[in-house]
This record gives sequence, structure tokens and C-alpha cells, in this order.
Amino acid sequence: MGSAVDGLRQTIQEAVDGGDTRIVINLSEVPMIDSSGIGLLVRCLASTKQRGGNVKLVQPSKFAVQTLRLVGVLSLFEIFENDDAAVESFA
Amino acid sequence: MSPEPDADRPQKELSELLKLDFPADTEAIGAVTDAISEVLAQLSVPEQKRLEIELAVQEALVNAVVHGCQSNPMKQVRCRLQSDPQGRIVVIVSDPGPGFNPELLADPKHPENVLAGHGRGVYLIRQLMDEVHYEKGGNEIRMWKY
Repeated sequence: MGSAVDGLRQTIQEAVDGGDTRIVINLSEVPMIDSSGIGLLVRCLASTKQRGGNVKLVQPSKFAVQTLRLVGVLSLFEIFENDDAAVESFA
Repeated sequence: MSPEPDADRPQKELSELLKLDFPADTEAIGAVTDAISEVLAQLSVPEQKRLEIELAVQEALVNAVVHGCQSNPMKQVRCRLQSDPQGRIVVIVSDPGPGFNPELLADPKHPENVLAGHGRGVYLIRQLMDEVHYEKGGNEIRMWKY
């Protein structure tokens, strides 16, 4: 929500604009994801996939997973237990 | 248990737990949700239920600030937290905006909308809470958690 989502949006946009389309987002310190965060994740996913990349999520909380499922987007994402596994999945 | 119509609940049976007016600025929302979280914790509301209420309230507050007040901090949003004698929680969020018709919102799970960057807030509220009513032309939402 608010500046947190705006900051992440800018960071991701800069990465994608710079040619980095394989993105790992670690959610381990995010207790909940609201609709603005979900919107950011799915737009990021769409943007990277258009360029041949992907977005992988690491350690979303149980509640974050429930929320993503509630709005029907959980199945769009691959989820990993740690950053290394997510990075290796791009190999 | 079938829910009673919200309008039939006598207001005098509701205990006011929190009443906050705040400027329509998204940066002010965190303090409101923190205050609600604190009250829910004092009431020993289980964590899962607390998270669901907090997220629903956050969505309602963002809608009130952004859509109801166009993020104009000269306008005020009101948030009230109440409980009934059975311990059920109701959160009421109101804004001075023109209101809206929630029935006209698109289904965010429709294949055409799944990759949209917005449009999930009201849907989430309805999923997270047990009973949701829009009143006063859509600029007041009453959300119940049993």
C-alpha cells in the first residue's frame, strides 16, 4: 500500500527497463499483501513474461498465499522456500 | 447461521470500541489499521481472524481515501470499530464522496481481468468478511466478522 508499493514498483520497473526480466521477490517479511500489492505482482509478471522472463516468489506468508488464492492469481506464480532455489529455477 | 439484515440490528446493542477521523492521505492509513489491530489483540481475537479484518479494513480505507476523497487530505475519512453482545465485530468506514454502486464492479477472477493491476479491493473485502453492506449511496461500508 502507498509508498511501499510505489517503491517496489519503481525498483521492478527499473530492473525490467534495464533488461532484467527474471525476477525473484522475497516476501518473507511481508505479513499480508493487499490488492495494490497483488496488482503490482501480476503486472510485473505480465511485463516480464512478455519479454521472455518470469517472476518467482519466495516464502510468502500463509496469509499472503491465502489472499493470492482468494483473488485467483496464486496459480500464476511459482513459489520457493528460499532465494537460491528460486534463482536456480531460472537456469 | 443466517445473517440478520444489518439494518435490523439495533444500534444501541453495539459497543463502540474505536472511532477515528483522519485526513484522506494513504500515509495515514497505517496508523488506523495499527490502532484497530491493537484493539482486536486486546479482545483476544484469533490471529487469522485479525488478519482478515485488518486486510479488509485496509482495503476499505484505501477505497475511501483514493476514490471517495480523491486523496485530498482536506477531506476526512471516518473509521469506527464496534462489537455486538455476541462478540461479533463490525467496522464502518465512511467518506464524504459521491458513493458508487458496488454491483457494477468487474469480476477480478474473470480471465480478462486476472492480470489487471487493480480492481480487487471490494472483492477481497467480500471474501474476507462474513457480511458486507454498502449504505448511504455507497460511501459507507459496514463489514461484519462473526
